[in-house]
Amino acid sequence: MTAVRAPRLPEGAIRARAREGVAAIFPAVGEYGHALFGAAPATGPVPDELDRTRIVPPVFVPGRLERMFELGREPLYGDVDLRCRIGGFAAPLPVFLCAFGSTQAATGSGLGVAAAEQAGRLGIPMVIGENIVPMHGYGREDEATAPKDGMLERIRTYAAAAPAGLGGVVVQQSTEDADAEVWNLVYSDPVATRLLEEGRLAFELKVGQGAKPGLGGMTVLSRECAEAVSDLYSVDEAFGRGAARVLRSSSPGTFTEEILRRQIHLMRNNYPRARTWVKLHPGRDVAQAAELAWSAGADAVTVDGAEGGTGWAPSVFLDQVGLPLAECLRRIGAHDAALLASGRIWEGGRALKCLALGATAAGLGRAALLAVDEDGAEGLVRLVRCLELELRLLLSALGRYRIGELAPDDLWLPEGGPSQSPNASPSPSPNQAFEEAWR
Amino acid sequence: MTQTTLGETVPAAKLPPGTREHLTSPVTQAALRIQNAVTTAAREHLGSIGFIELTPPVIGPVTDPGVRGAKQLDVDYYGHRYKLMTSVILYKQASLLAFDKIFYVAPNVRMEPLETATTGRHLVEFTQIDVEVRDARRDDILDLLQGLLRHVVEHVLRESKADLEALGRDPDAFGPLLREDFERMTHAEAVGRLRGLLHGQSSDAEIDWQGEKLISEQTDRPFFIVDYPKGSRGFTDGESATRPGILRNFDLIAPDGFGELCSGGERTHEYRRLIERMRESGENPAKYAWYLALAKEGLPASAGFGLGLERLTRYLAGLDAIWQANAYPKLPGIASP
Repeated sequence: MTAVRAPRLPEGAIRARAREGVAAIFPAVGEYGHALFGAAPATGPVPDELDRTRIVPPVFVPGRLERMFELGREPLYGDVDLRCRIGGFAAPLPVFLCAFGSTQAATGSGLGVAAAEQAGRLGIPMVIGENIVPMHGYGREDEATAPKDGMLERIRTYAAAAPAGLGGVVVQQSTEDADAEVWNLVYSDPVATRLLEEGRLAFELKVGQGAKPGLGGMTVLSRECAEAVSDLYSVDEAFGRGAARVLRSSSPGTFTEEILRRQIHLMRNNYPRARTWVKLHPGRDVAQAAELAWSAGADAVTVDGAEGGTGWAPSVFLDQVGLPLAECLRRIGAHDAALLASGRIWEGGRALKCLALGATAAGLGRAALLAVDEDGAEGLVRLVRCLELELRLLLSALGRYRIGELAPDDLWLPEGGPSQSPNASPSPSPNQAFEEAWR
Repeated sequence: MTQTTLGETVPAAKLPPGTREHLTSPVTQAALRIQNAVTTAAREHLGSIGFIELTPPVIGPVTDPGVRGAKQLDVDYYGHRYKLMTSVILYKQASLLAFDKIFYVAPNVRMEPLETATTGRHLVEFTQIDVEVRDARRDDILDLLQGLLRHVVEHVLRESKADLEALGRDPDAFGPLLREDFERMTHAEAVGRLRGLLHGQSSDAEIDWQGEKLISEQTDRPFFIVDYPKGSRGFTDGESATRPGILRNFDLIAPDGFGELCSGGERTHEYRRLIERMRESGENPAKYAWYLALAKEGLPASAGFGLGLERLTRYLAGLDAIWQANAYPKLPGIASP
C-alpha cells in the first residue's frame, strides 16, 4: 500500500471492498441477527445528483416473467446476463478501467501495471492515459531504465492476463504524445500485434477530462524532471520561486467541429485495424460533440463527468467547473452508439444509474487505483466482483435480466435537485427530462 | 537474415534471402540495372525541361507527418530529437524559394505497420523521385507525371531489353501506357468501383491495401485517383477552395495488381490553413516552427509528387515483391542489414 488518497471518494468503503471482496457489500455479517439496519443519512462526500437518484424496482415485472419463460423456473439474480460490448470489445460486464495518465499516483508506483494485470484477468477494457511516453518513455529502447509502469509493460501485462476474446487495450495520445507518435509506436509494435489481430486494440482521442474541463493534463514535478521536459510542456513556478516542485501543464488542444471530425477520420484512416474512442470533458456542448464523434466514425465516446479525474487540478475546477455526469447523460439523451460514462463510480448503484441513463458502460478511475493500492494482487478484482454482484442484484430487482433493458424509468430523483435553480426559467423535473431524453 | 518479431506472420518464401544470395542473384542484378535505367531516364527527362536536382536532407527537426500508421525514426542530434525523413515534402516546398522546378532522388525511412510486411509493396527504407513545381496546379502535375513515366518506360524498353527478357517481362504490357492517356477517376468513383467488386471500402479513408490491389488488377495501364477526402492524408495535401473536405491530391496506380506508385497534389502553403490542417491531423504546430516561420512570411503555392523508385522498378520489371528491387531490403518488423 502506498500513500494514494482520494478525499472526494468514500475511500474507506472502497478499500474495504478491495480487501474483503463481496462480503463488503453487506453490513458486517457478525451483526446479523442483532442489529436492525435502515437507510442511513448521507455521510462523507457531498452527494451529487446521481447519488440522490434512487433506483426504483417496480411491483409488476413482466421482464421477469419473460426470463421465467426462458428458464422454466423463477429467475434469480444469478440469471442476470451482464455480458456486453464496450466500444467494439466484448466484456463480461459493463465496466472498464479509465485512463491513468502520467500522474505520479499511477506511474512509477507499480500501480499501473498491477491494475493492468487485474483488468486483464477480469477481461474488462483498459484505457492507458496520455503523456506517459514523453514523460516516462515507452519501455522498449531503454529497458534498463524504463519505469516499471511504462506503456509497453502495461500493454504486455494486460495482454498476458486477459482471457481470449475478452476486453481490449485503449491507448490515449495527447498533443504532446503526438510528438512522440504514441499511436504509431503501438500500432507497429510486436507486443500489440496479437491484440491488433484479435480486434482488441483501440486508440482514444482525449479531447478533455472531467476534473479539469478546458485544461490540459497537469502534474506536479520535481524541478529536475521538469527541466528535462521543458521543451515539450509548459512549466510554471506555481508553488513559489525556488520551491522544490513545479507545475507541468499540457495544452488543452484546440478543437472545432471540423478539427474533431478530421482527427477522427485520420485515426480511422491511419489505424484501420484499431478501434477509435473519443473522450470528452463535461462541456456545455457535450451532446453536440458526442453526436459529431459518432457520426465521424468513433466506436465509443467516453463522457467524464465533472466528478471525475485521477489527475491533479486546481480546486476551482474541481468544485466549480463542468457539467455533472447526470446532466451530461441527460443532455446526450437517447442514442444508438456506445457511450461510456465515468466520474466517481466505484459501486454498482452509481454504475447502474449511468447505464439506465443511456451509458453502455461505466468507468472506474480513482476507485480502481485505490483498490490496487489496497491490494496489488486482488484489490481491483474484488472491487469489480462487488460491483458485479450489486449490478446483478439491482437488475434482478428491477425485473431486468440484460443490461440493454435498463431505462430511465428505473430511476427516481427527488424534486428540488440542482437543476431546479430558483432563478431559472421553469424546467421539467429531472425525471421528466430523463424520460423525454428517451422518447 | 534475422527475423526478430514476426514469427509465423510472413511465410519464409516471401522473405528476402541472405545478403550474399540476394546480391548475387541474377534477378536482383537485372532489377537493379533496370532501376539504374529508371533514374538515368528520370534525370534526363526532368533536366531537359528545366528542373534542378537538389541533394536531399536526411534528418530534420520534423518530417512528413502524412504517412498512414507509420512511425518516424528519431535521431539524437546534439540533444535535440531529430527525425529521419519519411519524405522531403517540407523541404521541397521550402526549396521553391530558390528555384521554381526542383527534384530530389531522396531516401525515406518509415517504420511501417507490421501488417504491411506481406503486401509486396512496402519497404521500411526506400527511395522516391520527389518533384515540386512552383505555382503548378494538379492537372499540370498529372501531365508532367504521365510524360515522365512514358519517357522512363521508353528508355527502359530500349536500354534494358535483355534484363526485361531475362525476367520474363513482356514489353507489350506497356503498350497501353505509351499509347493512351491515363484515366483520372475521383476517390468517390474508386470507392464505387470497389464496392461494385464487393470490397467494403470506406468513403472517408485512403483506399486500403487490399482495395488498391483489387482496383489495380482491373486495368491495363496506370491511372490516377484524385480528390481524396480530407482526413485520409496529412496537412500538406491542399484542400479544394470550392469543395471543402476534398483534397487537391492524387495517387498514381499501376495496373495488373502492382498498386500505388506515386502520391502528390497541390500543397497547403498558407500559414493559417497550415495551422488549421495541423490541428485537424492531431499535430502540434509548435514542432513545425521552422516551416511555419517560412509560411508566415510566405511559401509559394506549388504542386508535386513523390514517385516510389522501388515500386516503379517492381512494376517495370514485373517482380513479385518490392524487396527484389532493393539491394538491402528492410521489410517491416524484420531486422536486416
